[in-house]
This record gives sequence, C-alpha cells and structure tokens, in this order.
Amino acid sequence: MRKLILMGLALGMTMAVASDLRSAIETPDASKLIAKDLLEPAKVYTMPSGCITNDKDSIARGKFIFHNLNGKKAKGKLPKGLSKKQMKPGKTYLPQDKIPAKQYGNCVACHNIEGARGAGNIGPDLTNYNEFFIKTGARDNAFVFQKIADPRIDNPNTHMTVNLTTKLFTTHEICEIASYIVSIKK
Amino acid sequence: MVSKKIILAFALIGVLAFSGEQFAMSDSDRAIYAEMLESNPADMDVEYGSELMEDLVGGDEGLAKFLGVSEDELPAYIAGFPRYIEKLGLVVGLDQVLQALMAENGKKPFKLKSKDMFALSTYAKSIANGEASNIDVNANEHMKKALALGEKTFMTKRGGRGLSCNSCHAPAVIGAILRTQPLPELGADGVAVAATWPGYRMTKSSLRTLQRRFQGCMKNALLKVIPIGSAEMVALEVYLTNRAKGIEIAVPGLKR
Ligand code: HEC
Ligand code: HEC
Repeated sequence: MRKLILMGLALGMTMAVASDLRSAIETPDASKLIAKDLLEPAKVYTMPSGCITNDKDSIARGKFIFHNLNGKKAKGKLPKGLSKKQMKPGKTYLPQDKIPAKQYGNCVACHNIEGARGAGNIGPDLTNYNEFFIKTGARDNAFVFQKIADPRIDNPNTHMTVNLTTKLFTTHEICEIASYIVSIKK
Repeated sequence: MVSKKIILAFALIGVLAFSGEQFAMSDSDRAIYAEMLESNPADMDVEYGSELMEDLVGGDEGLAKFLGVSEDELPAYIAGFPRYIEKLGLVVGLDQVLQALMAENGKKPFKLKSKDMFALSTYAKSIANGEASNIDVNANEHMKKALALGEKTFMTKRGGRGLSCNSCHAPAVIGAILRTQPLPELGADGVAVAATWPGYRMTKSSLRTLQRRFQGCMKNALLKVIPIGSAEMVALEVYLTNRAKGIEIAVPGLKR
C-alpha cells in the first residue's frame, strides 16, 4: 500500500516535470495556417469572348506580369493600367495605410520566352509560341488560357503555378498574359 | 508522366540556349565562396554557441545527461535528431531539447527563431560532425507519424500560387533552373541537404537553420509561412533528414 502511494507520488512527480518541460518548449500550431492556405480543387474555366487581344497596352501588361515577381522587386516603368500595389477593390485607402505589393506571375522563373532574362527551364520554352504551337494547331488560345488559369486540368501532376483558382489574378489579367504569349513578337 | 511531357515540349522546340546570366553565382561570387569554404563565417557563431552551452546548460555533459546518454555516445545520438523524446512526449528538434534543458537549469529558454538559439543549436549539432546521420523513422509510432506528416507537408499544394515543396524539389524537375538558380534535389534518398544545415547563407550574411530555410522557400513561393517548432516543421525536418540517412554530418554548411 505504502509502496503504491510512493510509486504514485514518484509517477506524479515525473509527470509534473514532464509537463513543465513540455510547456517550456515552443510547439506552435501550424495546422490551422495550412488548412486556410490549401489549394482548391482543379477548375475548368471558359475563356471569355474578346479575351485574346492585339491591344498593345493589354499585351504590355501581360508581358510585365510574365517577366516580374512582384511590385516590390519590379524594376523599370510600369505599363499603363498596372499597379505596383495590390489594392482591394472597393476599399478606400488613407495615405498612411500600408498597401501590400502586387504579385506578378514570375513566369520566367520556369519558362524561357523572347527577351527573358535569367529564365528557368522547369516549364517548356515559350519562345516563338505562336509559330510553333498555335499555327501548327498543337495548341489554341483556350488551351493557353486554361493552362494559366488552372494547369491541373491538362496535367493533374503539374509543377506549374495555379493562377485563377488561387485568385492571384483576375480573369482579365489571365487574358492579358495569354494574349502576350500567343502574340507575334519581334 | 510529368517529365515525359516536359521532355516532349523541349523536343518540339529543339535547342535550349542558355546564356551566361543563367546562373545566379558570378565568378566573383564563386571566388568568395571558395574562400569561405576555407573559413566559414558561421564558425564564429558555433564558437559563441559553445560558450552559451557552457554557461547555460553545463556544456556537452549537461546535454548528454539530459538525453540520458554518456558523453561518448552523445555524437552518434545527436546524429539521430529529430527524435521522439520520452520526457517531452514529442518528436522534437535539437533546438527544442535545448529549450527544455535551459528551463530545467532555471534559465529562460531562447526563442526558437532567435540568433542565440541558432548559434546554440548549431553548436549542439556540430557535436555530431563526422557521424553518419542515423535518424530512425521506424523507431516508434511517433516517428512514423512524423515522417508521414513531413511527406504530406512536402507534397501539399497551397498559397497564392498553388505550389508545394515538391513542385520545385521533385526528382522530375531536378537539374532544372528556377530563375537563375539550379534547383536542389530534396525528394530522393541520399540527398545530403539535411546533413549540411544549419549553414551560413551568403545571400543573408547569417547563420540559418533548416527550418528557417524552409520558411524562406515558403515566403518566396507565397506559401503561408508556418512557425519554427510546429509539428509540421519538425516533420519536414524528419522527412529531409531521412533522405540524408548515412551521410556524414558537416555543419555549419555554406549556402548561397
Ligand atoms: C514553378 C514552375 C512554373 C511556373 C512559375 C510557371 N509555369 Fe507554366 N509550365 C510549367 C510546367 C512544368 C509546364 C509543362 C506542363 C505542365 O506540367 O503543366 C508549363 C506549361 C505552360 C504552358 C503550356 C505550354 C504548352 O503549350 O504546352 C503555358 C502557356 C504556360 N506554362 C504559361 C505560364 C505562365 C503564363 C506562367 C506565369 C503566370 C507560368 N507558366 C508559370 C511550369 C511553370
Ligand atoms: C518556387 C520554387 C520553390 C518552392 C515552391 C520551394 N522551393 Fe525550396 N528552393 C528553391 C530554390 C530555387 C532553392 C535554391 C535557392 C538558392 O540557390 O539559394 C531552394 C532551396 C531549398 C533548400 C536548401 C537546399 C540546400 O541546398 O541546402 C531547402 C532545404 C528547401 N529549398 C526546402 C523547401 C521546402 C521545405 C519547401 C516547401 C515548404 C520548398 N523548398 C519550396 C525553390 C523552391
């Protein structure tokens, strides 16, 4: 009996020490952060009419998004109609408000294309895309639109970024990026 | 299947022309790197870490005692981290063990993300330099679970661009270039990476731990950054350390 009590005491003591030590170490929760950050299932999108355009300003914006990472890192003059900051539509901002940098595509991280600097090669080279892919009938505009919007429809195991399902870009911006890719470049 | 697609696309286009600016390391960078290999700037942090170790927790002896091993067994035991530690009831990294040890010694534990903790835990891992990494992911249910969670975390696509660690570190994309940076392979057995962290990062001019490195990739790729010491972070470390099993530990490493 006495032995049991002693044992119980000893046990209680080691357990107390264990929980003390346990509370001395940092074990922050990450599961909620991850759960909120998960990618939604793959989605099929219909390319809106008038999506692919020859408009110079649209193509310039698509090009800028293709070649740059974000508004903080981007150098050079911004094309007309593109911002370095990501403002929420409908929200009014005061001068002292911190507005986050706008994210761009950084597509050159993985794709070479005309005039790319330091392009990566995880994805296919998109140089001469119009001639090699569109004119040959291998691809059409809708394919390019869907690929950028959500590449998982074409390839469930893709290593490419998802750009519309994640709401990183608007449908309109995807159209401008696609317009840049399929445009004939000099 | 993925690699086949990529190869196909490459074949269609024919030749890939790489320019000199392809690589982020210039010749002068490389010269500095060679010099640093002779004397790693983080050696000073390790020295400082060893002083902290003496002052705060009774040196190697104090650590060995806490872990329940002899000082002779300590290097090989450290080469098996992250481990399930009975006293803590958790799979933990060395840094968390050091927090517990500091508390046991009546000291206020360093924060996991603090410079002092980076120095202290790098010193502690350096005790295992020259030992083969010997993590045992089958040691118990806790380790098995940690490995599974690590793999899951590595494969989970999330964040603003819908990327996972595997998007950039899968065997299929290895050897490929991400914007001037060759992608280090992480997803195969025999990958030494975990055995070479903590390391000195030239681009950050400071000593960084493996979990701190994970945070860098998360931030760059727009994955929500998760905290050091979380179950998922320790699990990622378990996953990558298991890849480095059998490889000699050599810290602090020297990283771009
Ligand atoms: C992390 C790597 C990565 C990034 C970043 C990336 N891509 Fe891709 N991309 C790929 C890979 C890999 C493929 C090959 C097919 C696949 O696996 O989906 C691909 C395929 C494509 C294709 C189809 C080419 C064809 O005709 O087969 C287009 C178009 C494309 N990407 C455009 C973009 C655009 C635009 C962006 C930026 C908004 C971008 N990519 C960013 C990796 C990437
Ligand atoms: C968009 C691409 C991308 C994603 C996504 C990504 N990484 Fe990386 N990672 C890189 C590149 C590029 C480097 C090499 C950078 C350099 O040279 O400085 C790197 C380096 C690393 C290293 C250092 C390797 C070494 O040689 O020591 C580790 C560890 C690492 N990544 C882990 C991760 C983990 C874990 C995740 C997911 C949470 C992840 N990465 C997601 C691109 C990526």
